[in-house]
Amino acid sequence: MNMPRRAFLAALAALGLPLPARAKVAQGLVIHDAPKTLPPLDIRDGDGNPAGLEALRGQAVLLNLWASWCMPCVAELPALDRLKPKAAAKGIAVVALSLDRGGKIAVVNTYARLGISALAIRTDDARAAAEKLNASVLPISLLLDAQGREVARYVGGADWDGPQAAAMLDALAAGRPLTPDMAPPLARVTIAP
Amino acid sequence: MRQTLIAALAVLAAWWTGPAGADDADRAVVGRFLLVDMTGRPVTDETYAGKIRLVVFGYTYCPDICPTVLNTLSVALEHLGADRGKVVTLFVSVDPERDTPAHLKDYLVSFPEVTGLTGSAAQVAAAAYNFKARYEKQPAADGDPAAYSIDHTASIYIMDRAGNFLARMPHASAPDRVAERVRSYLYPKRDDQ
Repeated sequence: MNMPRRAFLAALAALGLPLPARAKVAQGLVIHDAPKTLPPLDIRDGDGNPAGLEALRGQAVLLNLWASWCMPCVAELPALDRLKPKAAAKGIAVVALSLDRGGKIAVVNTYARLGISALAIRTDDARAAAEKLNASVLPISLLLDAQGREVARYVGGADWDGPQAAAMLDALAAGRPLTPDMAPPLARVTIAP
Repeated sequence: MRQTLIAALAVLAAWWTGPAGADDADRAVVGRFLLVDMTGRPVTDETYAGKIRLVVFGYTYCPDICPTVLNTLSVALEHLGADRGKVVTLFVSVDPERDTPAHLKDYLVSFPEVTGLTGSAAQVAAAAYNFKARYEKQPAADGDPAAYSIDHTASIYIMDRAGNFLARMPHASAPDRVAERVRSYLYPKRDDQ
């Protein structure tokens, strides 16, 4: 998927054509042909200590990228907070990684405002995660297998409470391939967070 | 693959000449603008004389997914280190209706190094025209008149100390590439001149 698009954009550039007005980003579930190894990420906890994904090897992970300035991201957090214990029962860790600058302040404020209780504070102090994970939009949720490889990603806010999400996470936990019919619907932003 | 690419290019080229008008390709990007900053003060490109400008067009109300371009710019400035004072980063709203100066100020608390600019609809249109940036209001799927989104040019513009066009980079450029490009203008090599 990636290469042809890159080649396409390169060809556009070579022809001197302007790039498309808005690089249209497909929303929803993108299942990769083969699992992708993630670059190492310098994730910190609320005390500034390393809290990388390495510690979670052996279990599947839902890694959500968000920021306090991203309204649909903030709107999705309560659903992820509800999902965390349910996912844990399936053996899946839910990690919400804030891309906000300045460590945990924005996270603490946002969690307090929303009454987030299950999600832990995880920050990208090195401010490198968006680039390393090729996240040009937010929110994005990466679905990682037990080896820490990205098997799929969900672009946009998902309906994490529905049956599709449950089926998708069951498959992820069991190491079974994900299929397009498991894609949760996009969540509609109904609150002004 | 090659054929697909050529076909895609043909389609795109045909589409592109439509809304833009045939004369658009002959026009140069001009960095002139008269807008309003976050304090409501009128500003022009001359306000930032002496500084290299990084300019992006966008809007703060992203209903479904939010671009990470301000994050990219803010990290690029970190890469610039001591040179960051030679650069001004301008976020020009293409949604003056909702992005009032006060609202931009609130939103950009997350990006203190970014100056938000807005203005009247006519001022924004004129600035976008000069930059050859496009934007187009898209009605919300549910018909809510307040929930429209805006498709817009997502490029990162680099303008020189007098406001003249230097380069346009894709919105998904890596921060270090943006910093590198800015530095190449701050410290031009002799043999490049």
